[in-house]
Amino acid sequence: MKELNFTVNGTLHSVSCHPAKTLLDVLREDLDMTASKECCGKGECGSCSVLLNGEVVCSCLVLIGQVENEEITTCEGIGFPENMDIIQESFVDEGATQCGYCTPGIIVASKAFLKNIDHVPTVDEIKTALGGNLCRCTGYTKIIHAIQTAAIKQFQEKGSIQV
Amino acid sequence: MLVSEIEIITPISVNDCLLLLSKNETEHRIIAGGTDAVVRMKEGKWRPSAWINIKGLKDLRYIKEKNGAIHIGPLTTHTDIIHSPLLQKRADVLVEACREVGAVQMQNMGTIGGNIGTASPAGDTIPALYVLEASIELQSINSSRIIPINQLFTGPGRTVIKPNEMITNIIIKPQTENEIGIFQKLGPRKAQSISIVNVAIMLSMASNRECLGGKIAFGSVAPTIIRAKKCEALLSLNPLTDDIIENIAKVAWKEVMPITDGRATAEYRRDMASALLERGLFRLMRRWENK
Repeated sequence: MKELNFTVNGTLHSVSCHPAKTLLDVLREDLDMTASKECCGKGECGSCSVLLNGEVVCSCLVLIGQVENEEITTCEGIGFPENMDIIQESFVDEGATQCGYCTPGIIVASKAFLKNIDHVPTVDEIKTALGGNLCRCTGYTKIIHAIQTAAIKQFQEKGSIQV
Repeated sequence: MLVSEIEIITPISVNDCLLLLSKNETEHRIIAGGTDAVVRMKEGKWRPSAWINIKGLKDLRYIKEKNGAIHIGPLTTHTDIIHSPLLQKRADVLVEACREVGAVQMQNMGTIGGNIGTASPAGDTIPALYVLEASIELQSINSSRIIPINQLFTGPGRTVIKPNEMITNIIIKPQTENEIGIFQKLGPRKAQSISIVNVAIMLSMASNRECLGGKIAFGSVAPTIIRAKKCEALLSLNPLTDDIIENIAKVAWKEVMPITDGRATAEYRRDMASALLERGLFRLMRRWENK
């Protein structure tokens, strides 16, 4: 057992656990943040996606002992029902979720993708950016629409800030 | 060894890390991005008594030009390589290979040193490093040596790296104006998949379709990455016409030595090695003509 410190969604956490535990297990078991899901456990499905210092990574392949003093953002940190992010709103509006298991990972990956983009992304660009996130319910069409809608809203909002 | 018993030791500098490796009394293992190491830990294949966590060693994460060569730090991530203007211009074959390493999540965590150290016959960056004539610098606490990449691997997952050594630098020969490169891969699906066959090609061109020579490196068709020397010999039968390209692809079918495994049969791999080389050479010719 080791005392480990790191920041999740802007709050400093101190957890006592074995250092080779995965970040995903710590989030779910020690911090009760269950948005990030475990599915394949080996970095193929993306349902455990979180932001590590702003970059999207698979939390099932990160050991907690490797992220001391680093900053993690999960889907909970992106927004809650009462203060949803543009991406989350767009997923609701477009109905881009069915069973919902992959959705938090996709929201996180979309957030990282849209942060670095200066245009409304094409379908191909979205497919490349989300290539690591599998959904077994839908045909991805609505997910792709939701991300495009979010991008449009993001630019409208930025425009209004400038005015 | 249970996962809950594994320690994590985080060295504060390269020297500190080499010192740790030198007193390797118990079984320690290096972990960088963890995209491979953690999977193996979960599968029970790798259960070291401690992980030596080098992910935070900033001194080993760089891309720089030095004496006409390009030096890449082993902790440089695939994302770093994809976004490097220097490598985009002077080592596009490596940039293309890194784009094919899994999806964004893997590219953000996975490192080039990890890809080399894992020594998978299917590793995507390794064929690109072969055609860029990479040399790998290995350091231990009291010595350092530079090994050409084609002498580094001894089999699947095996290298000449000693337990007290670590990769500290990757040196590549930058492409010149008349050198063009391409990386082609076939995986079970487009994104985030392990290679069934991959190939890196680099050609040195004169004018039109006149080829001065080139290098071809295949992955996933032998216990280690291989150079297709017989195919390479045919590249300079000038000019490099469509007919010659088709013939080179046929030679590749005979030259590769694949096995059957869970991903594909040996015969399928032969067919695909030949097809990927043919497609790669056609695409390269089109790029060269449009340059």
